[in-house]
Amino acid sequence: MAPLAEIRDLTKTYPAKGSEPRVRAIDDLTVTLEPGLIGLVGANGAGKSTLFRILLGLTRPDAGSVHVAGVDVAHDPVGVRSRLGFMPEHDCLPTDQTAADVVATLGELAGLPVHDARQRASDVLDLVGLDEARFRPIEGFSTGMRQRTKLAQALVADPELVLLDEPTAGLDPAGRHEMLELVARLGRFGISVLMATHLLDDVQSTCDQVVMIDGGRLVGAGRTDDLLETSGVVRVDVGGHGEQLVAALGPDATLLPDGSVELPVADDSALDAVVAAVVDAGLPLHALSSRRASLDGLFLGDGAR
Amino acid sequence: MTTVPTSGSGGAVYDRGYRPYAGELGGRSAARFALYRASIRRAVGLRRSWRQKFFPWLLLAVASVPAIVWVGVAYITRNTPAQAVEIITYREYLGVSTALLVFVGLAAPDVLCPDRRNRALPLIFSRPLTGTDYVIAKVGAIGSVVFLFSFLPQVVLYVGQLLVSDSALDYFRDNLDVLWQVPLGTVAFALYFSALSCAIASLTTRRLIAAASLLILLLGSSALAAGLSESTGAPAQSGGFEVEIDPEQLGGAETDGATVGGRIGPDGTISPADVFIFVEPSSPWGAANLLAVPLHVRDLIFEGKVVEPYLAGVDWAGPLAIGVYSLVVLGSLGLLVWRYRWLEP
Repeated sequence: MAPLAEIRDLTKTYPAKGSEPRVRAIDDLTVTLEPGLIGLVGANGAGKSTLFRILLGLTRPDAGSVHVAGVDVAHDPVGVRSRLGFMPEHDCLPTDQTAADVVATLGELAGLPVHDARQRASDVLDLVGLDEARFRPIEGFSTGMRQRTKLAQALVADPELVLLDEPTAGLDPAGRHEMLELVARLGRFGISVLMATHLLDDVQSTCDQVVMIDGGRLVGAGRTDDLLETSGVVRVDVGGHGEQLVAALGPDATLLPDGSVELPVADDSALDAVVAAVVDAGLPLHALSSRRASLDGLFLGDGAR
Repeated sequence: MTTVPTSGSGGAVYDRGYRPYAGELGGRSAARFALYRASIRRAVGLRRSWRQKFFPWLLLAVASVPAIVWVGVAYITRNTPAQAVEIITYREYLGVSTALLVFVGLAAPDVLCPDRRNRALPLIFSRPLTGTDYVIAKVGAIGSVVFLFSFLPQVVLYVGQLLVSDSALDYFRDNLDVLWQVPLGTVAFALYFSALSCAIASLTTRRLIAAASLLILLLGSSALAAGLSESTGAPAQSGGFEVEIDPEQLGGAETDGATVGGRIGPDGTISPADVFIFVEPSSPWGAANLLAVPLHVRDLIFEGKVVEPYLAGVDWAGPLAIGVYSLVVLGSLGLLVWRYRWLEP
C-alpha cells in the first residue's frame, strides 16, 4: 500500500520577532504515515500546528520534503489542498449562517459543483449527527455541535486525508466520547485521519498509528499496538503473597501496592522461570500478564524509540 | 442502521455509512469563482434574513428612481417643448451612483471583516485558493454588485428614452457614444470604490469601524481638497452680485459653473471694469478629493476633459485624475494582497 504521507528531513524555523527568540518549530523530522487513523501527539508548542500548515502548503519548510497522497507539497502547494480536509482547533465558523450553508459553501470552495456541494453538505452533516440542526444558525450551537460542524466541513469534499487539530478541545466527557467515536467511524469508512492532540488517551483509544513529537523532533512513531506491547514487563498476582515472591525472584522484582509483583523479562522463555519460582515458593498463581506500556510512558522516555 | 450513543447536547448519530464523492473536483479557478459567488450572495443578502436583504435592494430601488421619474416625465411631455429639456444626462446619472457609497461602505466590510473576526481564514485557505485569489474574488464580488446597481438604472434610462422618443432608431443613432461610455464609466466607478472599500475593510475586524473609516477618508479628503483649492487656486470673488449664466453666452468660456458678477459703484451703476466672470476655484489639489476621483475619470470618458469642480480647468487635469485613480486602485489592491500575503504559497 502506498504511503499516505512521506515527510523527509523536515525543518522549519521561525525568525526572531521582537523580544521573542528564533523558534525551531520542526527539527529534522522524518516519518512515513500509512493510511488509517494516525495520532499526532505532542505538548502545546511541539510543532503540530506548524506540521499541519506545511502539509496544507500554507508554510514553506526551510529544508526537507513532504509528499501527501503522492503530491509534492513544495511543487503544488495549492493543489494538495484538494486532497485534504482540515478542522482547525479554534472557533472558525461564521455564526450568522446555518450549518448547511457553511458546509455547502466550503464544499464549493473545495471544488464541488453547487448542487453536489449542497447534497454532500447534507450527507456529512447527517453523518456527524446534525441532520435536524443543519438549517439553524450556528450561533445557537453548543460547543459539541460546532465541533461536529467543523468536522463535517473537513469531510465535505471527500478528502484523502483529514487533518484534525485537537478535535476534542473544549468538549465535556460525553462530547469527547462522541467525537472520538466519530473519528473511529471515519477510519471504518476508509477515510484516513491525522489527529493532532496532546491527550494521549484519545490517541490510545482511537488511532492505529502514533507519531509523537516534542520540540519539533520525532519522539516515537509506529503502530499503536506495537508501541504498547514493547514494555517487556510481566505482572504476577499470587493472591497477596507478593513479598514471598519478591524474595524468591530477587532484586529485579518489584512489589506493587495491590500485592502483585512486576518483573522485567528479556523474552517469553523467561516466563517459564517465573512460573517455576512461584511453584517452588508454594504460592498460588492467580494471574500472569504482560504489562502494556502506556503512551504516556513512551512519550516521557520510558521505552521511546 | 445502528445508533451511536450521544449526549443531550446534539442530535443522534446514525450509522448510515459514508458515500465517497465520485465526481471531479474543480481546481483553483473553481474555488475562486465559488468564493466570488458566495461573496455576492452575502453582499446582496441571499440565503440571509429579510433584514439583510432589505438594505441592498432598497438602495437599488433608490438608485433607479431618477431613471424611472425621468422616463415618466419624458413620456408625459413627449408632445410638448419640454421634451427638449434634458433633465438628467447619462454622465450625470453616473454621479448619482455615488449614493451607492453607503452600500459599498457597508457591503465590503460585511464580506471581508467576518472572515478575519470569526477566524474563518484557515478554513477558507485549506481549500485550493491563494491570498491573491481571495482578493480577486472579494473585490470582484463587491465590484460586480456595485456595477450592477449602477448600470441597471442606466439601462432603465436608456430603454425608457428609446421607447418614448419619436424615433427609436434616431435616438439610438444619436446616442451611440453612450453604449461604450456608460459601461466603461460604470466599470471605472465600481472598480475604484470596491478596491478602496475592500482595502479599508481588510485593516479591521469590525464592520462599523471599516464603514466609518471609508466615509471619513472620502469626505475628509473632499473637504481637504476643497480647502486647499480655495486657498491656492484661482480666487473666488464675492460681493456685489452673482448670476449663474450659460458660459457660452459670454463668448464660450470653457468651464462649467461660471458665474458673472459685478460691483455696483457709488452712483448705482456698474462700470465695465467692475464686471467680471469667475469660476469656482480650481487647483491641482482638487485631484486629492478621493470622492470625486471616479467622477473625474467619468468626465474624461464622457467629455474628454475634467469638468468637476476644483480640478476643472487645471493644466494636466486629465493625466492627474487618471494618475490618482490608478494610484488609489493599485494601492488598494496592493494593500489587500499584502494583508493576505501569508497565504501565498
